Amino acid sequence: MKLDPSFIWTAFVQILGAIPTTLYITIVSVLVGFVIGTCVALIRMYKVPLLYPLAVGYVTFIRGTPMLTHLLLIYFGLPVLVDGVSSTLGWSFSSASIPMIGFAYISFSITAGAYMSEVVRAGLLAVDRGQLEAAHSVGMTTPQALRRIVFPQALAASLPNLSNSVIGMLHGSTLAFTVSVVDINAKAQIVASTNWKFFEAYLAAAFIFWGLTLLIERMTSLIEKRMNLYNRGGVA
Amino acid sequence: MIQLTHISKAFGRNQVLNDINLNVTKGEVVVILGPSGSGKTTLLRCVNYLEKPSDGEITIGDFSMNCRQARKKEIHQLRQKTAMVFQQYNLFRHKTALENVMEGLLIVKKLPKEEAKKRSIALLEKVGLGTKLDSYPSQLSGGQQQRVGIARALALEPEVILFDEPTSALDPELVGEVLAVIRKIAKEGITMIVVTHEMGFARDVANHVVFMDGGVIVEEGTPTELFNHPKEERTKQFLKRITPELNYSI
Repeated sequence: MKLDPSFIWTAFVQILGAIPTTLYITIVSVLVGFVIGTCVALIRMYKVPLLYPLAVGYVTFIRGTPMLTHLLLIYFGLPVLVDGVSSTLGWSFSSASIPMIGFAYISFSITAGAYMSEVVRAGLLAVDRGQLEAAHSVGMTTPQALRRIVFPQALAASLPNLSNSVIGMLHGSTLAFTVSVVDINAKAQIVASTNWKFFEAYLAAAFIFWGLTLLIERMTSLIEKRMNLYNRGGVA
Repeated sequence: MIQLTHISKAFGRNQVLNDINLNVTKGEVVVILGPSGSGKTTLLRCVNYLEKPSDGEITIGDFSMNCRQARKKEIHQLRQKTAMVFQQYNLFRHKTALENVMEGLLIVKKLPKEEAKKRSIALLEKVGLGTKLDSYPSQLSGGQQQRVGIARALALEPEVILFDEPTSALDPELVGEVLAVIRKIAKEGITMIVVTHEMGFARDVANHVVFMDGGVIVEEGTPTELFNHPKEERTKQFLKRITPELNYSI
């Protein structure tokens, strides 16, 4: 077998069309995951009764099982649940009308939420207790203090880890092909299956992923510079 | 004007404050002295409810609250009537000096931005930091940070300002500039309670000195009474240790 460099380019161009799908999955799961993660982190930090054991259970179960398993569980479990609820309540809604990418959104958001809860928690722990006390002392309520003083600093502190999470979800999103979503990776496979030049196609996909990752890293470092203006940095 | 009655505080089994009663009149500067672990900082933090007293009552002007059944709203009201200057400054690290002072005015007092800015600049000029408005705390020296902290407390126009060892974390050469600022605002008739180890400052500025040990007030009085004619044995011991006589030779 000989490498066909020109087909790498052909595949590259064709795969470009699948970038939006990959980005949608990544962005949705990261954003929803961030919201879930923040809630879970706050529940764990404030030891909210009833919700606390649920939050702990969620994090250990999700972090203790592979992302692919989450996708398969949602893919096979959710329709049973939706159709069951739908028929008992007499709705006409059926699981068949859920788009395939919807399963990816839901399951990857759940995955991201568990991982990001730890990222957010680490960020919150990095903020000195005195900051909250000072906010209270000037008369702010706890929600005001969290929003204005604690969260911005926690976000700045967790930025490197958040960017790791985003990259992790970008790469993890390739699993969506198992539920027939055509992302970058699936597209590479489709492009190659016409002429069996898999290596070239996957190489093109690899370049695209690499490019996207570089973009994320670049963006993070720009945001980091802006957000950490006030910081003279740690030991580095 | 400020009355603390039967304030007690326990951390688990450790009784840190035991039935403290203290009266502060308007415009008075009260200095609390005492060895470490005597509960003076805890008492100060109770006044701002950063520490929840186990028991007792706090009265400021016509506002009064029972600490046993404190409601969120009452705690919030109490905090608006008090302001704290911290040992570790605790400036908002992600905000400039100006923003630090403005924050409470914008968010708590809900002043319009221009007004808040004007007042904050005036206060920072008063503490001698008119040229450092846009500096972040990490770009300021300890003494400068603490002066921003004082401006932040002043901005809220509280009934009382609480100083928790405001110079203890500072280099000796920076202590003076901070004390000078505190002295200046004391002269303006702002009520304050100061926990400090600066005896000279206590002597000069205080109207009322309180000596605490083991979670109780051992003795209180005017600076002259307490420093020159202490009645209690424990007070005498403490003062002796703090201001040793120069009876050694080299």
